[in-house]
Amino acid sequence: MNADLCIALKDVSIGYHGHPILTDIDFSLKTGEFTVLFGPNGCGKTTLFKTILRIIPPLHGTITYGNTHYPRFGYVPQRQTLDEIYPFTAGEVVLMGTFGQTKPFCPTPEINRTWVDQCLKDVGMLEMKRQLFSELSGGQKQRILIARALATRPTILLLDEPITGVDIIAQRKIMELIALLHKKHELTIVMVTHEIHSIPRWINKLIWINNNKVLIGNSRDILAPLITEEASFQGALWH
Amino acid sequence: MEQLLEILSPHFLLRNSLYAGLIVGFVCPQVGIFFVLRRMVLLGIALPQVSNAGITFAFLLCTIGFHFLPHMESEKFMALTGSVFFTLIAIFILAILERRRKGFTENRIGFTYSIAGAASILFVSWNPYGQTEVLSLLKGEIVSVPDIYLWLMIAIYGTIFLCLIGFHRSFVIVSYDADMAITIGKKVVLWDILLYLIIGVVISFGVMTVGPVVIFGFLLIPAITARMITRGILPFCIVSSAIGTAASFLGFYISYRFDLPTGPTDVALLSVILLVSFLGKTVFPWKKIS
Repeated sequence: MNADLCIALKDVSIGYHGHPILTDIDFSLKTGEFTVLFGPNGCGKTTLFKTILRIIPPLHGTITYGNTHYPRFGYVPQRQTLDEIYPFTAGEVVLMGTFGQTKPFCPTPEINRTWVDQCLKDVGMLEMKRQLFSELSGGQKQRILIARALATRPTILLLDEPITGVDIIAQRKIMELIALLHKKHELTIVMVTHEIHSIPRWINKLIWINNNKVLIGNSRDILAPLITEEASFQGALWH
Repeated sequence: MEQLLEILSPHFLLRNSLYAGLIVGFVCPQVGIFFVLRRMVLLGIALPQVSNAGITFAFLLCTIGFHFLPHMESEKFMALTGSVFFTLIAIFILAILERRRKGFTENRIGFTYSIAGAASILFVSWNPYGQTEVLSLLKGEIVSVPDIYLWLMIAIYGTIFLCLIGFHRSFVIVSYDADMAITIGKKVVLWDILLYLIIGVVISFGVMTVGPVVIFGFLLIPAITARMITRGILPFCIVSSAIGTAASFLGFYISYRFDLPTGPTDVALLSVILLVSFLGKTVFPWKKIS
């Protein structure tokens, strides 16, 4: 098997309660690659994403992770799915990333607290550590969730719609942050989005899900006709 | 002052009732925080009612000659068995239905509350001998707590408190973000089962000690109050228990001083604390930390 292989899906079908949403999915991701899962709302992006994360079991086929061991995931959920009734500070949310490494009945080790501070610093949110998570703006929350994912010391960072619902400036900052983390930590990144303009040109792989089909390629080949199509649609709206 | 010193004396006649109330006031809010955070407040109303139905059912069975634990003489243990049995069955059925997303949560809990309330009254009406004891429970009169029952309470509530503290991180992560919990290797279903088990046992024992209305008060009001006045999960947990314990002690003192039923006095006091906290929060809102 290829030493660089990070995740491989072979003949995979995904869905809920035995009902397939997508079938015959075959692709692999190499270590250090930046992959974008792209498609319209409701096409099955998040289901595929959660299947890769082993949150939902595949209906058929096999998913292999690397060559030897199960990778450590850094998961960034859609922030709207998190209930704001919880009175967590930003620091406490990031600390959750270390929960998988801390034993029950033991206090949080100092090394974990230092690591949390480092993760907050990496996303430029250290000064917001004591702020309530529910009081942060959409873009700030997203950064905190990225810091939480980094706190798991991941080998793969998976982000579910990280820029949805935030303003254009925050979108750009988040994308710059993700790009920086990709370079700095040499992370394998999988990002889900339905926003065509948020997809950077320099990504390694684009997985486009549309009409129950999964198309894999580079961003230029897949996106060029879509961007042209959208531009003509926008033009038609203006005239 | 004299009466306060009398209450604090180790030879105080009703000391077991005081200690039992303090234990309930300290531990119940720790369970209650999960009711509030998981938005299961309605379940906090329905389950004590189910527990109450279990108690009345056990009394009824005893009257017609059947006993859950024939070797146990005490009525309290018999009632406790019924309480635990009914509560655990109800909580697991509700949890399974919730997970399978069958119907609406509010409908299920509303139905459970109604049927448990009706069953309690029917079981009591069929059993005139159990009426006095059940009415005393409903009123929340913590008068006679035998030594053995108090020690059992200390053992069970102590174990539950240790579990809640020791497994705090797991309970928090599976409640807040179950998907994230799976990705870091937590068995979400097992942690949920353990939490439900803890809730069931705490409610069963609590209802036996202070009655269904009072247990509802201790589960929810301290957590709701603490949620309003704290920032961060650790202060939230500490303040919840502090409010519960303080209200339990002061409530006991006031009820003893003015000859009032203890349980309702505790709940009234908790409500006053909640109201004062709300007014305080409204007048002096949090400033954002910059």
